[in-house]
Amino acid sequence: MSSLALRGWYPATGLLVPLLTLASPGFLKLGDAGPAWAVLWLLPWALVDGARSGVLAGLLLGLVLDGLHLGPISQIPALMLLGWWWGRMGRKGLPIERSFSLGLLALLGSAFVGLTLILQLAVVGELQGPVLYTWLGQTLLTALLAPMVCSLQLLLWRQQVSGGRR
Amino acid sequence: MQAGPRLRLPPVRLILQVWPLALLVVAGVAVRLSKGAGVADAYAALSRPFWPGPAQGEWVKQAQRLEDQTRLRQLTADNQRLRQLLQLRSQSGNELLAPVISRDPGGWWQQLVIGQGSIQGVRPGDPVVAPGGLVGRVASVTPTTASVALLTDRSSHVGVWVARTQQHGLLTGLGSNRPVLRFLDKDPGVRPGDVVVTSPASTLVPANISVGVIQSVNGMASPAPEAVVQLSARAGAVDWVRVLMRPGRP
Repeated sequence: MSSLALRGWYPATGLLVPLLTLASPGFLKLGDAGPAWAVLWLLPWALVDGARSGVLAGLLLGLVLDGLHLGPISQIPALMLLGWWWGRMGRKGLPIERSFSLGLLALLGSAFVGLTLILQLAVVGELQGPVLYTWLGQTLLTALLAPMVCSLQLLLWRQQVSGGRR
Repeated sequence: MQAGPRLRLPPVRLILQVWPLALLVVAGVAVRLSKGAGVADAYAALSRPFWPGPAQGEWVKQAQRLEDQTRLRQLTADNQRLRQLLQLRSQSGNELLAPVISRDPGGWWQQLVIGQGSIQGVRPGDPVVAPGGLVGRVASVTPTTASVALLTDRSSHVGVWVARTQQHGLLTGLGSNRPVLRFLDKDPGVRPGDVVVTSPASTLVPANISVGVIQSVNGMASPAPEAVVQLSARAGAVDWVRVLMRPGRP
């Protein structure tokens, strides 16, 4: 079974995450918060490519996104944990394909990323303002987009992985 | 015995003929004493359809604006000259126009990314101004871009003052659309509607740049009153900003 990470331009699709985060399209916002693009990319990647690749992808995405954002809080721990969790989930049990399952996983993942950010804000003493609305908005928007975005990525990437489960 | 001259009253007929004229004379005197009251008003009412159109009024407004701008330039020049005499920090250095290439005024981070960086001379800490007033300060730079921490960002702390009462305070971002102004004095005497500008005592930003308007005041806050400030520049809507590159740098 070959890894997606070793296949040509597939890892380069991860560059879309920081680009979409920077572009931050206004029509894809809920309560001033955009979707968690990192979660939307990492979920199918880890499901297809396994835990190790998921952790590595989470680390790389987190490093890039932390570099783009100001402030002391980081997304790295949450993304690495999610990459590991989704990677294990993809390799055990039945393959996850249903839209509802993808939406639910993205909802949990986005909520987890938001919770870690809130915890970090609380630790550094900057937990103020409408963080709850931002958290809810981002989580809901990510969960709504996941069935469309993640299904397409899963379909494309599973076709490329030789021996991958369909 | 000869009788003296008899007092003769004007005949009633004459009085009846003259009283309208006398009334007119009285009215004329009243107009004279009142500087034309009634007549001028009547003329105004009658001639209203023929008054100058709005175009001439607009010319007058334009002339007024030009006069204001000239006066503003003169006052700015005076201000700089006086600050130099007092050996205070210069109010302005070079300015650089920069496009906004990414904006995230809400969410977890309140920041802009602008399309000018260290190659063009932008440095961390440079104030960034949009139409309406100050929006934030440069937090980090790359060769061709710079990230601007907005005034609403949780890490933002800028010294400001209320010009009317000359009360200083610290404008602190909360992560929401409206930052909070924490006063240094227990009795700042401010009220909603007061204009907030950057403090002349600030070493981070030039003095007297418009920041916003006080929306509400919480006099019960401890240790000193606080005010919620509605920012005058909308960071979420601007496409171009000006970076005020601080003078005295290599």
